[in-house]
Amino acid sequence: MTAITLDRVSKRFGTHVAVNDLSLDVPEGSIYGFIGPNGSGKTTTIRMIMHILLPDSGRISVLGRGDTRAARDDIGFLPEERGLYKKMQVRQLLRYYGGLKGRDRKTLDPVIDEWLERLGLTSWADKKIDALSKGMAQKVQFISAIVVKPRLVILDEPFSGLDPVNAQALKDAVLELRRQGVTVVFSTHDMGTAERLCDRIFMIYRGNKVLDGTLDEVQSRYGHDTVRVRVTGGMATLGRMGGIESMNDHGNYQDLRLTGDPQAFLQELVRAGGVEHFEVTKPSLHDIFVRIANPAAESLDVPEVMA
Amino acid sequence: MTRIFTVAQMEFLQLVRTKAFLIGILMMPVMMALAIGFQVYAARHTDTEVRTVAVIDHTGTLYDALAAAAATHNAENGSGETQIGPHFVPSRVDLAGKSVDAVKLELSDEVRGKDLFAFVEIPQGILESSEDAAAVRYYTETPSYEPLPDWIRDVLNREIARQRFTSSGIDPSLVTKLNARVPLSSYGLVSRQVDGTVAEARETDPIATFVMPFVFVVLMFMSVMTGATHLLNAVVEEKMSKISEVLVGSIEPFKLLLGKLLGVTAVSVLLASIYFAGGVFAIFQSGRWDLLRWDLFAWFFLFLACAVLMYGSIFLALGSACSDLKDAQSMMQPAILLIMLPYLASFAVIRSPDSPLAVGMSMFPTVTPFIMMMRLAIPPGPPLWQVLTSVAIVLATTTFLVWAAGRIFRVGILMQGKAPNLPEVLRWIRA
Repeated sequence: MTAITLDRVSKRFGTHVAVNDLSLDVPEGSIYGFIGPNGSGKTTTIRMIMHILLPDSGRISVLGRGDTRAARDDIGFLPEERGLYKKMQVRQLLRYYGGLKGRDRKTLDPVIDEWLERLGLTSWADKKIDALSKGMAQKVQFISAIVVKPRLVILDEPFSGLDPVNAQALKDAVLELRRQGVTVVFSTHDMGTAERLCDRIFMIYRGNKVLDGTLDEVQSRYGHDTVRVRVTGGMATLGRMGGIESMNDHGNYQDLRLTGDPQAFLQELVRAGGVEHFEVTKPSLHDIFVRIANPAAESLDVPEVMA
Repeated sequence: MTRIFTVAQMEFLQLVRTKAFLIGILMMPVMMALAIGFQVYAARHTDTEVRTVAVIDHTGTLYDALAAAAATHNAENGSGETQIGPHFVPSRVDLAGKSVDAVKLELSDEVRGKDLFAFVEIPQGILESSEDAAAVRYYTETPSYEPLPDWIRDVLNREIARQRFTSSGIDPSLVTKLNARVPLSSYGLVSRQVDGTVAEARETDPIATFVMPFVFVVLMFMSVMTGATHLLNAVVEEKMSKISEVLVGSIEPFKLLLGKLLGVTAVSVLLASIYFAGGVFAIFQSGRWDLLRWDLFAWFFLFLACAVLMYGSIFLALGSACSDLKDAQSMMQPAILLIMLPYLASFAVIRSPDSPLAVGMSMFPTVTPFIMMMRLAIPPGPPLWQVLTSVAIVLATTTFLVWAAGRIFRVGILMQGKAPNLPEVLRWIRA
C-alpha cells in the first residue's frame, strides 16, 4: 500500500517547467526524504500533493484517493515558511488549525496536551505566539501539523534554524510518528539528517527525478569509488598527487574520487608521505548531491516562480 | 460548511478582540461628546476678557447708543465667577484739534501697546448714506476675533435705522411691529383615514428628515470601513507571515474567503447594533417614539450586509494581490475613495432625494446601500419598485464580486513578490 503515488506528473509556470514527468511511490509507514537544490521543484511537488496546486498533467493519488482534496484532512502539513498568528494563544491556534481540518475541540484537546507535554511547552499553552522563542514557535508549528492525528505528515524543512536540542526533539518526534504507523515525508538540505533518518531518499533536480531509493541503493549506484584519507601534510601533500578527479576537503580528512585504481594510488601516497588513514568507501549523500547539482550548475539562473 | 463557520468564528473573535475595535466603539461617542462639550464650554467660558474699543464718532450722535448697549451687554454676561462672555468697554475719543490721522496713529500705538483692543471710526455721512465710503471702519491687531466687530455692527445698524426712521417722521416702534417676521412650519401630507375623516398632517421635523438619514449613512460607512480595512490587513498579514499556505493546505480558498466575509459581516452587524441600542435608549429617554422605525432597521441590516460583503470582497481581493503592507496601503486608497463617494454624495441626495442623480446613484450597485438607505430614511421614501430593483442589483453584484474575489484570492494568496497589474488580475478571474 502506498501513501502517495505520483504518476507522470508535470507542472509548469509560464515557460518554466517546475516539475517534469515525475513518478514516485511513497510506501505507507516509511520516512521519505526529499532532497534537491533550491528552486528544483520540491515545494511545487509538495504543494501538488497538498492540493494547493494542481498538476498540468499526470495523476496524483494520496492515501488511496485520487482526489487529493479528499485526502487533505488526514495529512499534516508543515510548510517551508512558518506561519502562525502572532496574536493568538498557543492552544487557540492549535484548535483553529485542527478545526480547519474538521476536528472538534473534544478530539483535539487531548492530542494538544499530549504533544505540548512531549515537547516541553505545557506551561506555554495560554501564551501568545509572539511571546515564544523561534525554536518554541517552530515546535508549535510542528504540533499544528500533527494535531489532527494524520496518517501522512509532510514536513518542508522541519529542522532548519533549530538548535541541536530542539532539532533532536523534533527528530525524536518524527521517529515516534513512524512508530505509530504514520508516513512521514520531509524535505531537507541537511544530508546528514537525511542519511540518518530516512528509509528512502528522493532527489529532484531542475524538475526531474534524479535519485530514488534506499540510502544503500542510492550509494551503490555511485559505486565504491570514494577514498577517505588522512595524510601527514594534509592538503599540501595531496596537492602534489596526480590521479585525483575531485576532492572534498573536510579539514581533518579528505574525500577523493580517483581516476585510476585505489591500490595504485595508495602506493603513490605512501611514497609521498605518511598515510594516517585510508578507506575505500561509498560516497556520502552529500557528495552525491554535490555531484549532481555542482555549484556551477546551481548558480545558473533558475526562475523562482512560486517555488 | 462547518469549516466556513470555524473561519468565521475565528475572524469574528480576532477582530472583536483587537484594540481598534474597542477603541472604535468607545472612542466614537466619547470623542463626539468631548467635541460638543468643548465647543459649548469654549463658547461660554474661554472669552471673559475686557475688550476696550476707542470710538471716533464724527456724527456725534451714535456713541451714546454704543455706550448704553455695552452696559446692557456687560450686565447680561455677568461678572466675576459667573461671567459667561466678554465685556465690551467703549470710550469716546476727543480729537481736541488734532488731525484725524494723527489721532489714528496714536490709537494704533495704544493697540500695539495692548492698552487698547481696537478702535472704530464712524464717518460723518453715515446717517444719510449707505455707500461704501460711509462704512464704519474697525481697526485691530486681532482680525480673527469677531464678536466685537459683530456686536458693533449690530448696535450701530440698529441705532442708525432708528435715527433714520425718526428723522423721516416715522415712529421706530411702529416699524418694529410692522417688520415682525412670520414663521413657516413644514408639514407632511394629509391623508384620509379609514373612518373617512381627514387626518391631520404631521409637522416635519429636522431630526427625522435630516439627522436620521445621516445617522444611517455614517453608521454604515463606519461599519464597512472597520470590517473592510481589517480584512485587507489580515490577508496581507497572513501572506507576509506565510500563514496562507497552511490555510489553503487545509481548506479551499473560496471557503476561507466566505468564512472571513461572514465573520466580518457579523462584526459589522454587532457594531451597528451596539450603536442602535444606544440610539433606541436615547429615543426612550427623549420620548421621541416617532423616530423609531423598525422597517428602516431591517433595510439597514440588509444593505449593511451587502455593503460589507461587496467591499469586503474587493478589499480581500486587493489584499491577496499585495505582498506587503506598503503595497496594500497604496492599493487601499482608490478603494476607500469608492466608499467615500456615496458618503460625499449623500449631502446632495438629502436635499433632493428624488432627483435623477439620487435615483441613478441608488441604482449603482457599489453606492446603492448608502444612497438607497438614505432615500429610505427620508420621508416619504422612494417607490417600492425602486427599492426592490436596487436590492436585486445589489444582490447580483455582491454575488459576482464574492465570486470574482474568490478567483483572485485563490491565486493571489500564494503569490509572492511584485504585485500583479490589472490585466494579470483579470486573467486570474477568467482562468
